Amino acid sequence: MVNFTVDEIRGLMDKKRNIRNMSVIAHVDHGKSTLTDSLVSKAGIIAGAKAGETRFTDTRKDEQERCITIKSTAISMYFEVEEKDLVFITHPDQREKECKGFLINLIDSPGHVDFSSEVTAALRVTDGALVVVDCVSGVCVQTETVLRQAIAERIKPILFMNKMDRALLELQLDAEELYQTFQRIVENVNVIIATYNDDGGPMGEVRVDPSKGSVGFGSGLHGWAFTLKQFSEMYSEKFKIDVVKLMNRLWGENFFNAKTKKWQKQKEADNKRSFCMYILDPIYKVFDAIMNYKKEEIGTLLEKIGVTLKHEDKDKDGKALLKTVMRTWLPAGEALLQMIAIHLPSPVVAQKYRMEMLYEGPHDDEAALAVKSCDPDGPLMMYISKMVPTSDKGRFYAFGRVFAGKVATGQKCRIMGPNYTPGKKEDLYEKAIQRTILMMGRYVEAIEDVPSGNICGLVGVDQFLVKTGTITTFKDAHNMKVMKFSVSPVVRVAVEPKNPADLPKLVEGLKRLAKSDPMVQCIIEESGEHIIAGAGELHLEICLKDLEEDHACIPLKKSDPVVSYRETVSEESDQMCLSKSPNKHNRLLMKALPMPDGLPEDIDNGDVSSKDEFKARARYLSEKYDYDVTEARKIWCFGPDGTGPNFILDCTKSVQYLNEIKDSVVAGFQWASKEGILADENLRGVRFNIYDVTLHADAIHRGGGQIIPTTRRCLYAAAITAKPRLMEPVYLCEIQCPEVAVGGIYGVLNRRRGHVFEENQVVGTPMFVVKAYLPVNESFGFTADLRSNTGGQAFPQCVFDHWQVLPGDPSEPSSKPYAIVQDTRKRKGLKEGLPDLSQYLDKL
Amino acid sequence: MRVVAMVSGGKDSCYNMMQCVAEGQKIVALANLHPKDRDELDSFMYQTVGHMGIEILASAMGLPLYRRETKGKSTQTGKQYVPTDDDEVEDLYSLLETCKHELQVDAVAVGAILSDYQRVRVENVCSRLNLISLAYLWRRDQTELLQEMIDCQVHAIIIKVAALGLVPDRHLGKSLREMQPHLLKMRDKYGLNVCGEGGEYETFTLDCPLFRQRIVVEDIQTIISSADPICPVGYINFTKLTLQPKEAAGAASSGGNEVVFVKRSLDYISDLNESTYSDLSDPDFSETELELIEKETRLREIA
Repeated sequence: MVNFTVDEIRGLMDKKRNIRNMSVIAHVDHGKSTLTDSLVSKAGIIAGAKAGETRFTDTRKDEQERCITIKSTAISMYFEVEEKDLVFITHPDQREKECKGFLINLIDSPGHVDFSSEVTAALRVTDGALVVVDCVSGVCVQTETVLRQAIAERIKPILFMNKMDRALLELQLDAEELYQTFQRIVENVNVIIATYNDDGGPMGEVRVDPSKGSVGFGSGLHGWAFTLKQFSEMYSEKFKIDVVKLMNRLWGENFFNAKTKKWQKQKEADNKRSFCMYILDPIYKVFDAIMNYKKEEIGTLLEKIGVTLKHEDKDKDGKALLKTVMRTWLPAGEALLQMIAIHLPSPVVAQKYRMEMLYEGPHDDEAALAVKSCDPDGPLMMYISKMVPTSDKGRFYAFGRVFAGKVATGQKCRIMGPNYTPGKKEDLYEKAIQRTILMMGRYVEAIEDVPSGNICGLVGVDQFLVKTGTITTFKDAHNMKVMKFSVSPVVRVAVEPKNPADLPKLVEGLKRLAKSDPMVQCIIEESGEHIIAGAGELHLEICLKDLEEDHACIPLKKSDPVVSYRETVSEESDQMCLSKSPNKHNRLLMKALPMPDGLPEDIDNGDVSSKDEFKARARYLSEKYDYDVTEARKIWCFGPDGTGPNFILDCTKSVQYLNEIKDSVVAGFQWASKEGILADENLRGVRFNIYDVTLHADAIHRGGGQIIPTTRRCLYAAAITAKPRLMEPVYLCEIQCPEVAVGGIYGVLNRRRGHVFEENQVVGTPMFVVKAYLPVNESFGFTADLRSNTGGQAFPQCVFDHWQVLPGDPSEPSSKPYAIVQDTRKRKGLKEGLPDLSQYLDKL
Repeated sequence: MRVVAMVSGGKDSCYNMMQCVAEGQKIVALANLHPKDRDELDSFMYQTVGHMGIEILASAMGLPLYRRETKGKSTQTGKQYVPTDDDEVEDLYSLLETCKHELQVDAVAVGAILSDYQRVRVENVCSRLNLISLAYLWRRDQTELLQEMIDCQVHAIIIKVAALGLVPDRHLGKSLREMQPHLLKMRDKYGLNVCGEGGEYETFTLDCPLFRQRIVVEDIQTIISSADPICPVGYINFTKLTLQPKEAAGAASSGGNEVVFVKRSLDYISDLNESTYSDLSDPDFSETELELIEKETRLREIA
């Protein structure tokens, strides 16, 4: 039975210091959803005995069948924290006086890399993250990715070591080995945190520390967990030591000599590590007694740890008994709740340092100040991070976080899409909110209004937003920053309806699909093809299934997946390229050259961007990449879309009217960098220099109609003369397997142009981790191939890593790039063959 | 005044002549500069495509024609112009000098609309010859002007395209009336000058109310001068043009000899005065708002 009411939750929403917004993040199969069950069962939503098997937050049928989370799911829960634990919350903004109730808004996110856009959307609306790590496989590639994202969004992490049952039952590690494993994971996590977080920064120190209680241990599947705090409380009376002091003693290089009754700092023959002695030993004893059916021992043990079995549990034995005992002794929900309440920040604390990362406008306007202080009486500022499908086909709940003010049913708001700019009317709607709702995992509850610091859903906003947006009541509000995804949609398929008459249904279905997934892109090519682009094979598979079954409801024909490429140049143009305008009265002279290694990545990461102050940017470019400072100051723009990894640079000397044509040149450059010369793909890593410009004296002869096509022709000519190349996306592929399977992995990778760059044994286990680079183009069917070649023992995780030049000259008809260029041109409905330089180059 | 009209064959020079006539000037001759051995010079000053139609145009109007060859070479391409020997502007000077000598004209009609480059040079020549330049179209709003030309029965076809959004195989040979919607669309999309003042396109007039006979295109040749895939440039060469007498007044219904109303400068001024709500020229005022204002004024009057 649910042990709280919507009214109770609504009451708590106003007590903003007692709110915790958190997401659960981890590598795939490390047990996020299973662990979340413990909290859900503590809240009374599912029965305790079912926790760990239900995976309540996996709401979709295919999620249950495949045992994998696909969509992130939010759930709001109410808990009461005991008086004795409340004293641990010391920060005044972390709890309301005289209030034991806590509202936890939890988002369970998928672990598979293909769905990491869901994680990004979840992180944006939360302030804290529970990082789950499987203590058997340790920190994996996706653990690092999500952790890095969390730190970048200024989300405070806490750590949970999951699957301790496996470590004990399957691997049979002894206590010291297990401690070493834990120690290593904690260190690994802290190394990642230290790499991406500045301790002196606004968030302060965020490293996790078992002795502070911010690391939990346990088993989500069996429903038990503990932190050092739990054990410390058990022993503190016996030792007559303060709980906090004892927690420090229970971790790290602290040893206890049972004979002399003395604490020591070094390992000696007759002392024992305190963590092993006081925490692991009792657990080992319980495991040993129950799993080996030592009936007599069980009785005394249970008495010692203070567990009394219920009548119906008395007959159980083996694993079932173990589960019941452990769950009664160390209930996971309680341990997690304490970690969350004590260590994760409340919205009041978090928004203070998150505001500058969230808000695009000036940091001292009304909206910014309201967000900073999490003020429920300020103007409404809400960020919609994703759309959640409703039971009503084609309609969505807009899901997001109220950062300031209050959102209420019937309230009139400004709905601003990502392209909104203050003062303009684009992407702006003024509409009333139909209803505000509370997301409760599998169902929703209507609620009157929601004040700042909370997560909720809105009805009636979905028509006005594509995927994300800002909702406000403040007239001069700027947008909340758009989310930056860690993966990019590099794999695409073309779809068409089996019955051509169903085309309108397909178009409508694609629109719905684009809404329902934070990352997927639905594009209509000029050739009329409908393209769906996703992060990986699995992502596409799920999208296509949803499209076919839920959104369009028509049978579809799907093409084989294809990869999107990038075009680049490999050398400086071998000649000065001149192009004349259609009226022959204007001339442009340009050259193309490749950017130095690392610069395109710097632009991707935003280290070099169009928004930088130009002098600072020039200094950076000259220091890091040896650019001429005066030249580097004259970058006209980045492209495509004004931000991409190519730029055009003004190297002219005293040209008249040059500024008047800048807009037209920029427009031509955006066009040319979006649709490259080889195959209409985006350009990457190309720098264009304008050397000279001759213009007609009369403004009317140098308008956009003349300069835009000239710029485009000239850029194309420059690209053709600079030895153009294709770039292909490459996955970073992490494969876990036992040693015997490693040979099979090499075979599969070699056949697919992949190469291994790292191979490690996971310390303390017989598992190997192989890291390799694999071209995305070769990755289709990779998982299946790998499994069949390793007897099903190897599991790959592929995440997009970088772009790499495809060796070979696209102008050689026998080369691979040539074949790809021709295929792409054919698919896009372009003229086949190679671009002819003479069409783009003019003579003086 | 006795006027010699500079003609290129295009719509602007013809419409400018119509304006001259409407203002009561007397056009005594036509003048034209033509290329020597090529069809298109991409000159900074003159329209040269369609030059082979000029003679037939002159006979359609029944006026004498003065012609001179030009090499179409500009040595001075800056904003200002200082007389220089081998510049194409000097060809204009000598042509007009002959006209002035033989016909005692007082003024030159030129069809420039917005090109300062052309204006500066024509005025330079005129001041040196002590002539008045008549450019009635100068600085007119291009969209309005195009509409007026169409209304005034200037029947011209596109004979050259050179701008983004105009394609030779689709647009060459089309009449102004057919092209107008597309031109307006391209203006919004790429900032095209709808009257083609930036060299976007050139036209040739086949008929206008000043013509005594209409010109009929019998045979043409299409030439693509640069076949680049982004913005191809192409033009038409007339290989055979004939004259056809206009129908008598009986066929007035077909619009042949109908008297067209050409707006004159005074008409524009009266146009301005006519608007009753000239002080409310804010186009954002909707009908209801105007009604509201009217009502308020009435109420005030009653009070």
